Amino acid sequence: MAYFDVPEIEYTRYSNRQLAAVPLAVLAVALLVLSGSFLVYGTPVPLGMDFAGGTELTVQTTTPEGEIAASFDQTPESVTGTGTENQYIVRFSSTDSAALTDQATDSDTGLEPDGDAEIVQSVSSTSASFGAGSQQTAMLGLVVAFVGMSAIAFLLFRTFVPSIAIVISAFSDLVIPLAFMRLVDIPLSLGTVAGLLMLIGYSVDSDILLNNHVLRRSGDFYESTYRAMRTGVTMTVTSMAAMLVMAVSAYVFGIGLLASIGIILFVGLAADLMNTYMLNLCLLRWYKFEGVRR
Amino acid sequence: MNPIAAVKSNWRILLLVVFVSFAVVALFVPGGIMADDSLGGNESVQESPTNLEFGLGLEGGTRIRVPVTGMTAEDIASDAVSEEGQVDQERLEEIEGTVEQELDLDPANASVDVQEDGTVTAEVFTGSVTQAEFAAALQSANVDASEDDIRDGVTQSTRDQMIETIQTKINAAGLSGGTAYEQTTATGEHYIVVEVPNMGANELRNILSERGVVEVVAYYPGENGNQTNETVLTGDDIATVDPPQQREQGDGYVVPIQVREESAQQFQGRMNDIGFTSDGVGMCNLRGDGESISFDHEGEQYCLLTVADGEVVDAHSMGDRGGNGLATNMRQGTWADDPTFQMGAQNQQDAQSLSVNLRAGSLRAPLDFSESQVYSIEAAHADQFKQYSLLIGLLSVVTVSGVVYGRYTDTRVALPMILTAVAEVVVLLGFAAVIRMPLDLSHVAGFIAVVGTGVDDLVIIADEVMDEGDVSSERVFQSRFRKAFWVIGAAAATTIVALSPLAVLSLGDLQGFAIITILGVLIGVLITRPAYGDILRRLLTDQ
Repeated sequence: MAYFDVPEIEYTRYSNRQLAAVPLAVLAVALLVLSGSFLVYGTPVPLGMDFAGGTELTVQTTTPEGEIAASFDQTPESVTGTGTENQYIVRFSSTDSAALTDQATDSDTGLEPDGDAEIVQSVSSTSASFGAGSQQTAMLGLVVAFVGMSAIAFLLFRTFVPSIAIVISAFSDLVIPLAFMRLVDIPLSLGTVAGLLMLIGYSVDSDILLNNHVLRRSGDFYESTYRAMRTGVTMTVTSMAAMLVMAVSAYVFGIGLLASIGIILFVGLAADLMNTYMLNLCLLRWYKFEGVRR
Repeated sequence: MNPIAAVKSNWRILLLVVFVSFAVVALFVPGGIMADDSLGGNESVQESPTNLEFGLGLEGGTRIRVPVTGMTAEDIASDAVSEEGQVDQERLEEIEGTVEQELDLDPANASVDVQEDGTVTAEVFTGSVTQAEFAAALQSANVDASEDDIRDGVTQSTRDQMIETIQTKINAAGLSGGTAYEQTTATGEHYIVVEVPNMGANELRNILSERGVVEVVAYYPGENGNQTNETVLTGDDIATVDPPQQREQGDGYVVPIQVREESAQQFQGRMNDIGFTSDGVGMCNLRGDGESISFDHEGEQYCLLTVADGEVVDAHSMGDRGGNGLATNMRQGTWADDPTFQMGAQNQQDAQSLSVNLRAGSLRAPLDFSESQVYSIEAAHADQFKQYSLLIGLLSVVTVSGVVYGRYTDTRVALPMILTAVAEVVVLLGFAAVIRMPLDLSHVAGFIAVVGTGVDDLVIIADEVMDEGDVSSERVFQSRFRKAFWVIGAAAATTIVALSPLAVLSLGDLQGFAIITILGVLIGVLITRPAYGDILRRLLTDQ
């Protein structure tokens, strides 16, 4: 027998209302977090350097972490160590990367070199206006991706309730990780946007699988559901494991792009487990037992 | 079973084997599939064990995205172009002159041109003029243009020229593998992107912020005895440029140039008129300190100044050199028949950049670095990223394998699953090597995503095929496999649709991620997943 097996849940014990309540409540909380954040901070999620503008330096130095800030005229937004010894990522809201590089490498007031290694290992800087353009582009990309995915869902099932069930749970799959980002203060970067787009593609898989098993196969509703769950949960758990490993190891190595893609997908897929097997499932059950008769 | 039937029933597996072997050849055999290594000369290719090419993020270098400074008024002064397409050059120059005067601009910072479609556009290349001022200047040149007709940014032809100039500049600076191209954002803004491997951000910025406007200015006593400046040669007057060389007599360097025939007569005439070939022969006492030129002097001076971006680089006079000098030939009028000329520079670095600027031409407009995006990484740090991302990729594969094995505990199902997913990545890597796609961190994320989606789909196939007990016959297998494939196809379609905006929109580094993931999904659906079905069938039906 397998080391882990997907447990069979007795769905008959819960009414549709009960099943839908949990994911809808979570979705409502997530939307509340995002709109509250929008009212207070002006943006639903914290914007990273890619979108708000700023400079990020990766420095290799023997100067202790606490004293790095003193080398710069402008106080850094943050100084974080990477997995490598004596390597730090320093973030600034200023976009004058040339001046910041000069300050870091200044032989009097700058950072102490670590052996022969260059002090400034990497520079990345985005102007505010460039960031604003990227923001619009990212927004456009997300909307087009979501609309495209919805269109495919309707094209595949050609009935309203099962298709809209996919669209709603995909929407919730996006909103929950966004609210998570706000709560744990992960800034929106190009990496997280990629994670969100990937999530649209990934999360829909288990919904399609469930709908397919319930609607296009003969057999008892609960039996079909269980079979779909066995496959779907395996898929999602596998992906979640891969993403968690990628997120953690990339974070340790200081590769921000991979870490943010990983963490967003991990949270989004966890939300997807709940949305698919509670929200989507109860909509399908309602459709199968009551909706069809209308 | 005869061989043909064997091939027929296993063609999916064979196809996968063929693709994997192609990929392995493309990856590891030096020269690979693309035996003609015409892009060669890159020594790092020989050192690395694979034929993969890496982008800036994994190789080291600098990328700058930057917009062009300037404003444009389009479709103005229809009176300058007749209906037959005859261009009234004088009228264009008149407008340009008026704009320069009204706005107090350098000649290089204003331009009035006829575009390909026959309309006239006026551009100014500076950030210090407002749209209203530009409109007013155009109006004083009798051009019917209001503030509303003026937009920020420059014309396409200006950008094209600039990209060409930048490309020549970075090539001339002896940097191989550098590229310059244009990127348009979804919001309609145009950026010039310059990528140069193995160069720091400040260094590249210095090259790009140099406008490279080179002039020869005559410095001589004017009518009332005051020293006057007059531009006598500009970059446009120069036909060919030779590499810099050391001056034959005395210190310093020279860049030999050949003046265009049309300009040569004019230059010669002007030099004779203002006295450089008579009173002024050898009359230049301005001396430099190796960098700039001191203008403290007594008495009349006849100097030809080399001016780069408004700064005087060198000064020298014309000599007779015992009857065969520049001044002699000019005076006799024979110089214009062989119009060679030497531009001076005090040190080798100046001479080098002079030569580069003359050859590449000047940047038509300055770049606006306050609106730029810069990414730069040291080669050593990039190399670290390369190793780390390989490690992260391996860790992900191991994790996925562990989960899959934990779920099935049947090596017959799990092992081919993992091998197939890895084969998918190998095929994809081979593909990247063949089309010489430069790999970056975002591509690595794409590869890991491909393993994820790949295994997901293999799980669907395995579960579906092994559903309801053993697979007793070929027919049962086929029908179950087809059912599984419907779901896989649907899932693949959504992933492709979700990522296609990123593949088209230029959103930073994410294009690579989207392209790799989409390609991976396609390779998976068309090649590797059907093959996995066949492998599973053979293992389960014991055929």
